[in-house]
Amino acid sequence: MLDKRILEKLFRQNYSEMIHLARVLLGDDAEAEDVVQDIFLRVAEADLPPRKEGYLLTAVRNACLNRIRQMQVREKVKNLLPMGAEADLQLRGATEERADDISAYVDEHLQEPHRSIFHLRFDDDLTIAEIARRLHLNPNTTYKYLAQSIQQIRTHFKR
Amino acid sequence: METTKEHILRLLEMLDNPEAYTEQEIEDIINHDDDTREAYNLMVEAKRSSRRRKADAAVDVDGAWQRLEQQLQPRHQNLRRMKIAASFIGVLFVSGIAFAAIQLIRHTQQWSPKTEVVVNDATPINVAPTDTLGNDTLVVQPVVYDNIPLKKMLAEIAAHYDAKVTFQSDEARELRFRFVWNPQQGIDQVVSDLNQFNCLKVTLKDNVIIVE
Repeated sequence: MLDKRILEKLFRQNYSEMIHLARVLLGDDAEAEDVVQDIFLRVAEADLPPRKEGYLLTAVRNACLNRIRQMQVREKVKNLLPMGAEADLQLRGATEERADDISAYVDEHLQEPHRSIFHLRFDDDLTIAEIARRLHLNPNTTYKYLAQSIQQIRTHFKR
Repeated sequence: METTKEHILRLLEMLDNPEAYTEQEIEDIINHDDDTREAYNLMVEAKRSSRRRKADAAVDVDGAWQRLEQQLQPRHQNLRRMKIAASFIGVLFVSGIAFAAIQLIRHTQQWSPKTEVVVNDATPINVAPTDTLGNDTLVVQPVVYDNIPLKKMLAEIAAHYDAKVTFQSDEARELRFRFVWNPQQGIDQVVSDLNQFNCLKVTLKDNVIIVE
């Protein structure tokens, strides 16, 4: 087993970045914690610490991908997690830049109340009915506005 | 026919309440067409981007390390137990080899005289030479030579006392009789015992057993 002092040093150096990534990819703090702890338990069993730079973050991505693959479809959509082949792309970091661009686009180009609806739905996890109540809108109108925003963003990034 | 916008509306409705749909219905809604699937993926990315902004919150590394330590403890204990068990197995294994070796030596040492010595003896007596095993670990038994040529018998006895044997008569070499040798006795006593046989005259000179 790996020397405990080496393990602790490795843990303290990398844990924050690893848990951050796992939380982003899984959208569940408890699951993310499990993933990172499991990785360190495996590292602890090895005789030597991982030598490759970025090994631990790659291990997080792979472990998260495995978790998502094992989830039921309903569980995935609840946390808005990628499905099928898209999971591979998104979790391996291929679409990270685009995710940031989407966020910037929303803030810069969406008009109100579209922008607020978008943020309340994806940042605060409110349902359409809750958003409608909060913004004093008709639920059907709220649905329409959100659908319009999604169409607009898609059209922009399709270019 | 439903438009893309209507499909996205259905997708949004489903995402608000996935419990109301079966697994198959959920998949069918998301994969209805490329536009709906892309809309879902876009929402996934938007959500991920949102999580990334939120995930900058402070992380309790100390607490996480303590939780890991708690999980490691039973593993360390199990490993320690396994190591101790492995050590025991190792000791037993080595002991087993040593025991087997002793048994083998005993068997080998006992076997050679027995095959020839105890030809007509119903109650053979075993021997373990004193130069092989210490007196404290083994009681040396007398050896019975029965119907064994004297040349062979004396060769073994002389070897035990680190002596030599000289036959002055060829006839004496082939003599056969029953003789009980106690290795714990001195060589002088053995010579004396041999001289009890009328047909033999044995002397000891300069650590050489001379048979006339």
